[in-house]
Amino acid sequence: MIEEVAMRQDILLDDFLPLFVSSSLVLVFGGFYVGIYTAVKVNLLKKWTMPLAYIFWMLASYCLYLMGSLMHVGDFTAKALVVAAIGLLLLPHAVYYMQHHVHEENEH
Amino acid sequence: MASNHLTGIGSESKQLATWYFTFAIILFGAQLLFGLVAAIQYVMPGFLFELLDFSVARMIHINALVVWMVFAMFGSVYWLLPDETGIETVGIKIGKLLYWVFVAAIVVVVLVYLIVQVGPADEMSIWFIHEGREYIEAPRWADWGIVVVALGFVANLFMTGIKGKQTGIVTVLMADMLAFAGLYLAGMFFTDNISVDQYWWWWVIHLWVEATWEVFVGALAAYALITIIGAKRQVVEMWLWIEVAMLFGSGILGMGHHYFWIGTPEYWWEIGALFSALEPLPLVAMFIHVLYDWGKETGLQMAEGAEGHAIAGHTITNKPAFTWIVLNAFGNFLGAGIWGFFHTLPQVNLYTHGTQFTSAHGHLAFFGAYATILIGMMYLAIQGTNGIKVLKHTKSSIAGIWMIAGGVMGMGIALTIAGYVQVLVSRAQMGATWAGYFDGQSGMWFSQAMDWRLIMGVVTFLGFAFLIKDFLSTGKNPVHER
Repeated sequence: MIEEVAMRQDILLDDFLPLFVSSSLVLVFGGFYVGIYTAVKVNLLKKWTMPLAYIFWMLASYCLYLMGSLMHVGDFTAKALVVAAIGLLLLPHAVYYMQHHVHEENEH
Repeated sequence: MASNHLTGIGSESKQLATWYFTFAIILFGAQLLFGLVAAIQYVMPGFLFELLDFSVARMIHINALVVWMVFAMFGSVYWLLPDETGIETVGIKIGKLLYWVFVAAIVVVVLVYLIVQVGPADEMSIWFIHEGREYIEAPRWADWGIVVVALGFVANLFMTGIKGKQTGIVTVLMADMLAFAGLYLAGMFFTDNISVDQYWWWWVIHLWVEATWEVFVGALAAYALITIIGAKRQVVEMWLWIEVAMLFGSGILGMGHHYFWIGTPEYWWEIGALFSALEPLPLVAMFIHVLYDWGKETGLQMAEGAEGHAIAGHTITNKPAFTWIVLNAFGNFLGAGIWGFFHTLPQVNLYTHGTQFTSAHGHLAFFGAYATILIGMMYLAIQGTNGIKVLKHTKSSIAGIWMIAGGVMGMGIALTIAGYVQVLVSRAQMGATWAGYFDGQSGMWFSQAMDWRLIMGVVTFLGFAFLIKDFLSTGKNPVHER
């Protein structure tokens, strides 16, 4: 009897470059998202730039989806990547909320 | 007698810190030199053949990297302890004695690496030449010496932390350094089963850097932000605790990505994938943290109409140190985050494991996450020992920053290109065969990438020379405010 192979599908040769680029862009776009969000919140950037932050989060999420597809990830890893995308969305909000809260407490 | 960061003179702890930093920078130079030798050997394989073979040059390159960082970390703790606790470090005399023991042990180990190099496969070699375990090759006698030194250091830290003021930074450091010293024990014994052996070996290699070292960096960044830009302690320390939770939360089980191919059960694929996917989040969070604190202080300065560093309390008191700290936030995100993330999931790691991708990640992550902040701490110590109020940039400090950061980035890109060739040719096309390995290595892109790696290594070394020049000339340079 042939044992079940856990990793069934190889990555196609032409998919390696888009795979590496998309996975790098996940964090590049993610970095822009959190950077712009934080910079707007501390008044380093104007408020109208905030939508740009969310556009970058969407781009990061799309790249994460692309990366997962090209890798042929299984169900579990796909769910893990969704958790990571949501974590990235919430992270600057949570960080800013907490930092700001502590700042306010110590200034008043 | 306690002191603050601007007046390191008179504190024995800070004096000991400068000793640690001095030996760290010597080892940093050695790391770069042996790295250059190894890089030349990729381009000219006959270079120093049978005198200093690639295996020895690479071993010293990596060991020197680890040890200079450990020295700089110990130095950083001895530097900040009097500031944080309000008292002189307890047991400083033992600390000084252990420093000399540590230095002597390292010198003997390196001389044996260079002169004896290899021995027969018996216990004598393991005890007196090297253990042959990648990255932690130190012979067993030196292993025990390191344990004694580390325990003495941890004892100093704990006694001082308990006796003096217990800030969040010191409390985190106490817990972190205990784990740091304890984890080294996991790399000191052999088992007959290579999978079991590798399993424990990773406890040192991974948990050191992705858990305890990252937490250490968080504590140093917190201290530096308070010291350099006057960030609020409550904010910085609150955030430090969150970083600790996130780093331990993702870092410990993130170790699963090292268990993919060593014979461990397959459930490590799922665990490794999940926590590896989460591992960049604390790095992103650290990036936000620095940006937030810097933005708050800058915004405050702008609101108060200050130019440059005119307002006391909101001054960037050490510009080179601050630049290295900012580089740390970016470098950690880039080297550990991006370069780590794109080859960490098992589906792609099957192809990238053990290629030059790993080397690219190693260069960028160690530089971005650790070297940057430790150099920043050295600048703080230089400022303190020379009694400088505001340490400014000089041509040498700027050249050092650009050439070291640019050189390491260049090496990272060159190694990434080489790794990409290996993935396509050696792994995907030729199925990780013997012939595939050599075909991948002999291709034009791989060869040229190695040429560029060497060129960028030379640029890094020149940057290091500028850094040393700046360190040595700071004391007499009139440009700094005293």
